Amino acid sequence: MSHPNPYDVQKAEILNVIEESPQIKTFQLKLEKPLEFKTGQFVELSVPGIGEAPFTPSSSHYESEEIEVSIMKTGSVTEKIHEAKKGDIFGIRGPYGKGYPLDKFKGKDVLLLGGGVGLAPLRCLLQTLIHDIDDYRSITVCFGAKTPQDMIYKDQIKEWKNYDRIHQLCTVDECKPQDDWKGRTGVVTVLLDDIKIDPAEAVAVVCGPPIMMKFGTFSLIDKGLKEENIYLSMEKKMYCGFGECRHCVMGGYYACKDGPVFTYDKIKDVEKIWE
Amino acid sequence: MGKFQKGLLLMDKAALAKFFKSVQNQFDIFLPYEIDKDDPDNLMLKKFRNEEKFVINKYRTIDPLKSLFYLSSESVLPSTTKNKQRIIAGVKNCDLLSLGVHDAALLEDDFVDPNFKKWRENTYIISGDCDEALSTCHCNILGHNAYPDTKGEEMQKYDINLSPVDDEYLISIGSEKGEELLQLIKQNCEITEAEKYHVEEVERQHKEIEEKLMQINAEFSPERDVSVVSKVKDAKVWEELCEECVQCGGCTNICPSCYCIIVNDESINDDFKRIRTWDSCQLSGYARVAGGESPRDRLWERFRNRYQCKFDFIKQNFSQYGCKGCGRCISVCPAEIDLREVIKALQEV
Repeated sequence: MSHPNPYDVQKAEILNVIEESPQIKTFQLKLEKPLEFKTGQFVELSVPGIGEAPFTPSSSHYESEEIEVSIMKTGSVTEKIHEAKKGDIFGIRGPYGKGYPLDKFKGKDVLLLGGGVGLAPLRCLLQTLIHDIDDYRSITVCFGAKTPQDMIYKDQIKEWKNYDRIHQLCTVDECKPQDDWKGRTGVVTVLLDDIKIDPAEAVAVVCGPPIMMKFGTFSLIDKGLKEENIYLSMEKKMYCGFGECRHCVMGGYYACKDGPVFTYDKIKDVEKIWE
Repeated sequence: MGKFQKGLLLMDKAALAKFFKSVQNQFDIFLPYEIDKDDPDNLMLKKFRNEEKFVINKYRTIDPLKSLFYLSSESVLPSTTKNKQRIIAGVKNCDLLSLGVHDAALLEDDFVDPNFKKWRENTYIISGDCDEALSTCHCNILGHNAYPDTKGEEMQKYDINLSPVDDEYLISIGSEKGEELLQLIKQNCEITEAEKYHVEEVERQHKEIEEKLMQINAEFSPERDVSVVSKVKDAKVWEELCEECVQCGGCTNICPSCYCIIVNDESINDDFKRIRTWDSCQLSGYARVAGGESPRDRLWERFRNRYQCKFDFIKQNFSQYGCKGCGRCISVCPAEIDLREVIKALQEV
């Protein structure tokens, strides 16, 4: 039996680069062949000869020929990725991991809690939810960033205001008087004071820096959300994406294969999940 | 009786070298040889070049079998595995069992490692019973034997196993590939029927090595509870256990079942290669993400991770322990940390 080489990639041509913030760029990619993925899954993106890193697409999973990936400059590979221009070629392979179980979201209040570049997978999820928006009771979006300049997807945030079913709240940790900022100030969990959901029936999806995920989770539990309804994106070191390199092992789980999204009840007893 | 013939055939020990000589153009042949070292732990795998003083039995080599199936560094894209057929002989049960971990992880899970698969397919394994033991050998306390299971019904990891009896080997066949290899051996060497004496003599030797291993490991209980590796979380306990560790990563590199890797791209002119290279969870950067966070920043956390991986995580993933008791990590450790002692200390907490 012949098996595909799991390390093999297809070509992804950069159609456009959007500067979202000083540290984050969104790359619109045209793929050689469709890459069917489910929202919540991730891909490995590579600069040929330089290296690979895992990213979650930030565009709807209903589009598989052109996808978007938002990338923060944090290490050597992402630094090279940020140097890429329209027309350059990336390598891409995947998808990996398990997607969000959208069936379990249906008929419920869905809360998206995100910070920084953690908004990327949430935008993918939100755009997918919008596709079938009547299936969900409500969608509440709580987005945070360090400063108004660091807030990404400003244009989409304006567009999402047009949906009655979407309630949208934004905050920044700090802003200067000269900043044109109309949202709240404070860490993203402050937004949870203003949301109107039925905690017993709501699902929450959390993605952001570890410290934000930790306190976000605790705040949601305080509000009455069930542990099994809190979905967390686990950022762990990954090389392969499919369970070979073992770097992302969390107890008996692999972040790559069993995640990267886990419900809190599943991993709350795994040590050091917030680090 | 299983599907294949176990312990019914005999061959002359001297005939084996004759066989290897006759097929060395067709196969790359690897065998354990004694190296010049003032220590009983002195066997290394080397390529056969008409040198007849190889060691089929005795005990494990210094280098793990994985160094021939899951190379320390190899290109996976493009996959650079050689097509030439190989025979690896003198493989011991601890290495066969470890190969079972790799089969479960790299072939039978939901992906297939391209190089590992090809090396596995291209290789015939001739294993040998251990008839001696090193002070670090402890397969017995993990419930394993110092010789492959030639009685079980299930498919074995060896193709042919050789049990020494005086000047002869008692032959057991473990697979279809073993049958093929036997036919090749038959073309070059005389194979005769074993007698009751040979079978009984092998059984006697098995008992002898079991007793020896029990003596070596007398202070370590065979019924030891290894779940302590995850149950004991006290930093002080672990800090004390790893006080002497110099973080060289030798224990994981030499472990026949460890398979953690890093994946790097190397550019060559306009093209590139994707290289996978052994990594070690004992090194500080192992789990660190680009943002700088690491779940195991402290030495004791990484030290503990190795024990948890072997006796808890791998068990959860593949229903077997990641340690088969070869004792190489004990031999290699410059700080003389003994895995058996660590577990004993944890049990006494």
